[in-house]
Amino acid sequence: MADVVMPRLSDSMEEGTILRWLKGVGDAVAVGEELVEIETDKANMAYESDLSGTLTEILAEEGETLPIGAPIARVGDGQGAGGSAAGPLVGDRGAPRAPSPSPPPSPTPVAEEAGKSRSGSEVGGRLRASPVARRVAEGREVDLAQIRGSGPGGRIVKADVEKAVAPGAPASASAQPAGAPGSPETAKGQTVYRELSKLQATVARRMAESKATAPHFYLEAAIEMSRALEARGRIKAAAPDAEMVPSFNDMVVKACALALREYPRANGAYRDGRFELYSRVNVGVAVAGQDALVVPTIFDADRKGLGQIAAESRALAQRVREGLITPPELSGATFTVSNLGMYGIERFSAVINPPQAAILAVGAIGERPVIRDGEIAAAHLMQVTLACDHRILYGADGAQFLARIRSLLEEPLSLAL
Amino acid sequence: MREALRDAMAEEMRRDEAVFVMGEDVGVFQGAYKVTEGLLDEFGERRVRDTPISENTIVGTGIGAAMAGLRPIVELMTVNFSLLALDQIVNHAAAIPYMFNGQARVPMVIRMPGGGGHQLGPTHSHSFEALYLQVPGLLVACPSTPADGKALLKTAIRDDNPVVFIEHESLYGVRGEVSEDADETLTFGEAAVRREGGDVTIVGVLKMALVADRAATQLSHEHGVEAEVIDPRTLRPLDLDTILESVRKTNRAVIVEEGWPHGGVGANLSTLITEQAFDHLDAPVQRVTGADVHMPYSKRLEQAAIPHEEHVVKAALAALEGAI
Repeated sequence: MADVVMPRLSDSMEEGTILRWLKGVGDAVAVGEELVEIETDKANMAYESDLSGTLTEILAEEGETLPIGAPIARVGDGQGAGGSAAGPLVGDRGAPRAPSPSPPPSPTPVAEEAGKSRSGSEVGGRLRASPVARRVAEGREVDLAQIRGSGPGGRIVKADVEKAVAPGAPASASAQPAGAPGSPETAKGQTVYRELSKLQATVARRMAESKATAPHFYLEAAIEMSRALEARGRIKAAAPDAEMVPSFNDMVVKACALALREYPRANGAYRDGRFELYSRVNVGVAVAGQDALVVPTIFDADRKGLGQIAAESRALAQRVREGLITPPELSGATFTVSNLGMYGIERFSAVINPPQAAILAVGAIGERPVIRDGEIAAAHLMQVTLACDHRILYGADGAQFLARIRSLLEEPLSLAL
Repeated sequence: MREALRDAMAEEMRRDEAVFVMGEDVGVFQGAYKVTEGLLDEFGERRVRDTPISENTIVGTGIGAAMAGLRPIVELMTVNFSLLALDQIVNHAAAIPYMFNGQARVPMVIRMPGGGGHQLGPTHSHSFEALYLQVPGLLVACPSTPADGKALLKTAIRDDNPVVFIEHESLYGVRGEVSEDADETLTFGEAAVRREGGDVTIVGVLKMALVADRAATQLSHEHGVEAEVIDPRTLRPLDLDTILESVRKTNRAVIVEEGWPHGGVGANLSTLITEQAFDHLDAPVQRVTGADVHMPYSKRLEQAAIPHEEHVVKAALAALEGAI
C-alpha cells in the first residue's frame, strides 16, 4: 500500500486542487496512466501515476485543495484490502489466525502498529470525521465539508472544528455565498464576492511578495527605433512566411537576451541571502489571458534567431489564450519583458516577477521630435523602463545593462549576430 | 507487595477462624514467591496446608470447603497452572452460586501470580486477566500497588463470591505505603485515577498501570501531553464510569495490558467505550498489548513482546494525531 501525494507540478506550486479523478476506487492503475486532474497555480494538468496497482482509497475529494506532499490517494498491490485469503481483517491487526504452516507474525507488541491505524472503513464519498468532531460541529452549526482534517488520513478531529469556529478563523460556516440575494446595500451598492482562480491568487501573492521584499528602482530610456522599423520592413518583405516576421517586441526580447548574456547579475536572482546566476537565458513575455497575467517563457532566447523567437512567442500567446499552456512553458524564465505599447501606453513601470532581478516595461513606439545635429528632426522613439531588484542589480550595472539593450535595438543588425 | 499480601492474609486469618490457606509449597517452603512467609509458624498446619501438585484437586477442595462454610485462600503457583484447574474454576466455583440459586456460595480466593519478563518461556509467562474476566460469576482483581494489593485481598477474602486474584511476579518487590489498619479494605469496582490530565486517557491493567504512569510522565515532559492514567484495580466489577468520565473529558483512550491482543481486556474495554462514549471519541481507541505470540525465551525477544513506555507514548500520540 503506498500513498499518492499531491505532486509538485510547477516551480512556484505550493498547493493544488483536485479537479477530477480519472480513476475510481478499485480501478487498476499503471505507471504513466493519467490518474487525476489537478489545478495548480499555473494551469490544469492531468497527473500521471508513478505507481502501479489498485486504487484502494481516494483521500482527497474533487474540489479539495491540499499542499504539496499531502496524501491524495492510496494505491495497493492489487491484492486489495477486502478479499485476502487469510480471512476477514480486523483493523490493521488481522483476525486471530487459524493454525497454518506459515511463520508466525512478527513478535511486535501491538503498540508498534497502533500508530499506523487509520479509519479503514471510511472511503469514497464519506466524510472522515471523528464522532466528537461531528458532535461539536453539529452543536456549533459548522459545516464539516468546509473543514480540512488534520487527523490520520485527513480525518477531521475535534481540534479542527474548534479551530474553525475560533474567533479570527476563516469563517466557513458564516460566509455569505457569493452574490447572495439580500446582501446588504452599502454606499458602494451591492457587493459581489468572487473567489480568485488559482492563477489570480498566484498573481496576487507573487506581486505583493515582489513589492514587499524586492527593493525596486527604475531606469528609463528612450530608444530610437527608426532603424528597427526599417529593418523590420525589409525582413517582412523578404520573409517567406508571415509567422516568421518578428514583432518589435520579439526584437526587444532578442536584444534583452543578448544583453543578459553580457550582464550575468541581470540574469540571476537574489534568493536566501545569495546570488543565483543562471547559465541559460530564458526570457518571459507577459501575456494577458485567462483573466489573469501569465508569462510564457522563450527558452535560450540568446541563442535563437529572431524568426524562431517570433514563431515561438506567437504560438505561446495563442496557447495562453486557449488555456492550453502548461506549467513547464510558464516556468524557468530568468527575466521578463512586459509590453503595453499596443494599447498606446507611452511608458510605465512594471513589478518584478520574483525572484528575477529585473523586468523591462516597454511602451509604444511614437514619432517624436528630436534634436539631431542642432536641428529638430522626427524620430521613432520607444520608451522603456527597467525595474531592478537593488539587492542584486545595482544602479550602474542596471544602467549599463539597459544601455546595452538600447544600443542593440538602435543598431538592429547586431541582433542578427 | 509481597509483605502487603502476606499481612492481608494474616490479618484476615486472625480476624476469622474460617479463613485458611492452601496450595503447593505455601507452608514449609513459605510459597514459591515467599508470599506466605511466616503463616505456617503463626497459624499451624491445619490452616496453612501444603498440597500435592494437583491444581484441579486443590481448587476443587477449596470449593468444597467454601460451600461448607470455610473461607479458603487457594494459591496456585502461577496463572499458567490455573489452566489445569479451569474446569473447577469455571464450571464449579463460578457456576455453583448460580446453579444453586444462591443457596450454596463459594467464598473463595484463588491467588495466582503471572506475567512475563523473567525468561520463563511460553508456558510460564501468561497474562490471563482477559480469560477470567470472561467468566460470569468470578470477580477479578489485579492490583498494581502494595496498598491496593492488601486492601483488595482483604475485600476478596471477605466477599462471598469466588475471586480470581491475579498478582504480577514482577510486582512482588514493589514498595509502597500500606495501611496498618486491619480493617481497611477497598471496594471492588473502584478505579484509581493515578494521574489527572485532559489530553488522553490511559488505562493500564496490573503491571501496565505502572508502565502507563511512566509513559504519562514521558508524554508530559517530552510532548507536552497531559495524560490521565487510570488503574481499574478490579476488572470485574469494572469501574467503567470513571473511565467513561475521563474519556468524555479527553476524547481519546489508550488501553495497556500485558496479555494477548485478541479478545483481550483492551478489546473488551475498547468496545465498551465505543458503545457508551462514541460521540465523545476523537480517535479510535488505541490498544497496547503483548505481542500475538507465545512468550519467547530469548531475553531480547521477550522484552520485544511485552509493552513498554515507548509503545504507550506512541499509541497516545497516534490517538492525538491532528490534535497537537
